[in-house]
Amino acid sequence: MSAGSLRLRGRSRADHARGALFQGLLLFSLAIGFVTLGVLLFDVLQRGLPYLDLALLTNAPSTDPQIAGARPAILATVYMMVILLVTVLPIGVATAIYLEEYANKERWYNRLLDLNIQNLAAVPSIVYGILGLAFLVRGLGLGRVLLAGALILTLLVLPIVIVSSREAIRAVPDSIRQGGYALGATQWQVIWRQVLPSAIPGIATGSILALARAIGETAPLILVGALTYVSFNPTIMGPFTALPIQIYQYISRPQEEFKLIAAAAIIVLLAILLTMNAFAIWLRNRYQKRW
Amino acid sequence: MSEPRPPARVSFQEELDQLEAALREEGELVLRSLRAAVEAVCSQDVELAEEVIAFDDDIDSQYFEVEQGIELLLARQTPVASDLRLVLALLKDNLHLERMGDLCTTIAKLTKLTKGLPPDDTLLEGFKEMGERAEQMIRVALRSLQQRDRVAAESLLELDELIDRANRRVVNRLLEIGHDLEVREWGLRMILVSRCLERIGDHAVDIGEQTAYLVTGEFREFTDASH
Amino acid sequence: MPPMETTAAPVKIAGMRVETAGARELPAQREVLFDVKDLRVTYAGVPALDGVSLEIYRNYITAFIGPSGCGKSTFIRCFNRLNDMIPSASVEGSVLYHGEDLYGKDVDPVEVRKLIGMVFQKPNPFPKSIYDNIAFGPRVLGMKDGLDERVEQALHQAALWDEVKDRLKESALSLSGGQQQRLCIARCLAVEPEVILMDEPASALDPISTTRIEDLMHELKRNYTIVIVTHNMQQAARVADKTAFFSVDVAPDGNRRTGILVEYDDTSKIFTTPADKRTEDYVTGRFG
Repeated sequence: MSAGSLRLRGRSRADHARGALFQGLLLFSLAIGFVTLGVLLFDVLQRGLPYLDLALLTNAPSTDPQIAGARPAILATVYMMVILLVTVLPIGVATAIYLEEYANKERWYNRLLDLNIQNLAAVPSIVYGILGLAFLVRGLGLGRVLLAGALILTLLVLPIVIVSSREAIRAVPDSIRQGGYALGATQWQVIWRQVLPSAIPGIATGSILALARAIGETAPLILVGALTYVSFNPTIMGPFTALPIQIYQYISRPQEEFKLIAAAAIIVLLAILLTMNAFAIWLRNRYQKRW
Repeated sequence: MSEPRPPARVSFQEELDQLEAALREEGELVLRSLRAAVEAVCSQDVELAEEVIAFDDDIDSQYFEVEQGIELLLARQTPVASDLRLVLALLKDNLHLERMGDLCTTIAKLTKLTKGLPPDDTLLEGFKEMGERAEQMIRVALRSLQQRDRVAAESLLELDELIDRANRRVVNRLLEIGHDLEVREWGLRMILVSRCLERIGDHAVDIGEQTAYLVTGEFREFTDASH
Repeated sequence: MPPMETTAAPVKIAGMRVETAGARELPAQREVLFDVKDLRVTYAGVPALDGVSLEIYRNYITAFIGPSGCGKSTFIRCFNRLNDMIPSASVEGSVLYHGEDLYGKDVDPVEVRKLIGMVFQKPNPFPKSIYDNIAFGPRVLGMKDGLDERVEQALHQAALWDEVKDRLKESALSLSGGQQQRLCIARCLAVEPEVILMDEPASALDPISTTRIEDLMHELKRNYTIVIVTHNMQQAARVADKTAFFSVDVAPDGNRRTGILVEYDDTSKIFTTPADKRTEDYVTGRFG
């Protein structure tokens, strides 16, 4: 072998250095997100944990910080999330099934529908609030009730559920459908028995995203009539508040203690979110398939 | 570990087995023809000779079917390695058996031609012995093929030597007795008969060579001198 | 093996007849199952296949061979109306099954697919257990009783029972490629079809698995009619009783490429003395 014709030791040090630098930048970006989140969480936990007690969960709000709680707000948020899930999942998944399995993608109106759904996700939430006020509260005559709040949140997060459900359904290989049809199953049987079960992980992920978005929304709720001071337990067709609003209310009070109670309430909010997400993740793992 | 798997390519193997069986059937036909031809010569039985001549159609028909079967097998199954060697060996053996059949027919025709001419008993005894020897060689050749027995195949060479010697004795005998014109005529025809029997032996040796080729993968002529 | 001895039997010779070497077991009387007349398939107006007429016989294995783009996959999917799934596809001409047009007005494609099953090129087991895979068909078709027996029988027929009988509840995806394909065949058999269509069933498999599938086809043809598309000519030569050769007809301006049926005959004839030169060129590997 003549010297110089075989380059086993080719790559220059500069190339390696560039690679290392790039990797470093990626880690740095990751760190920004993590560190920010870590600092926020630490701050909240440090302030709120001492004030996280049963009184917070069982007592109504009060001017006395010793006995102030957030029970009505917690209950209202939980009710709304449950109504949200029960409403948005069937509507969102059904829409996704129609668009993916039944609609002829060549037709113009289906493409228009596609485009609109993408746009809906970008609409500011306050616009949903106005929509809710005009259509649900006044138009349908529901009044300023919890149900209206829940429904408007449903509309808000519907595009998220539709999009992620569509992705999940699309991810099911066509060969599975063909196999089903070839055995003499109808389109509905194939969807119900093969496609949907396989799409559950993706749909569960979509629901996690939807919940996360909805649980912290305040603006549409205010427009639909959420009150800031509620001391009685909410009912579905009655006046209501929500945990984010309650937290804001507490923070605005002058006494220092109320700010700490607000921190505790934030922890409760996170706990509600994490509980619901844990359920969704459990569901996703149970149905996870490897192709 | 799971149980042993059943053999694969079942229908291919069945076809190969069927071809081999068909070749063996052809061998049986040739043996009958040979026995009948030798009997016809030794007892100067013209009717029997006619039967042998007619029987050649049966042998040819069997030959054709084996040939066709081989052609189809090659086209459809693309055999390789030992399967290919087997099919090629069967192809050539088929030809050798058919030639043997033709030689028996020739013997029968010669029997017809020498009708009425005076025979020589010593010579006829010799033919009987050559006939048995040839029969034995055909059996050994076919059995060695069936059992893929190279040693048995190679033993055919010694048996062939015996037929060759017998063939030479026939010539010497004819030189002794050939005074009479009629005896001479009969004698000349009988040389051809002897030659046919000797050729049958050679074909049997050739079948043995194919068996050795099948087993070892190498083709080698059993003798050096061409005969 | 018959022993070979010298017999002292009388020398009269009797004619003997032996079975043709290489004979394949076929039903004595051949029965037409499918009668295709002037079939034409277009995708969005562009013809993919044109002028196809042939007959498929019961309990035969019929193979469609030809170069890529010749329409053989399109053609086989006409037999179980899977082309209905493609919105732009349109089928003209007639496909008679037991004398009835599969594309007739009142014919339900779902009913057609119960009788005419299909196995695909890439094994596509459902992401469920082995048992549930096979049970899917009977369950959706309302054959609810005797499910266990059905599953077992289907697995036996597909020569897979011994390998999976102890792990029916395990995921079908844990099987090897060849086993998965046999599972798909078992799944197809569980609904008791009459016909099994196979679109390149072994092209994604290794040679040993391919041989096993081919042996399986020989066994299955006793009870079913099999139609197979294959791009492997030797496979068609090995398994098929009749072979149809398709080719591509290029329009004079060079733009239109339409699939046509060139020759349809006994496999032995196609591979020894094909009538059409195009067939000869294809099977000898000269042109495709």
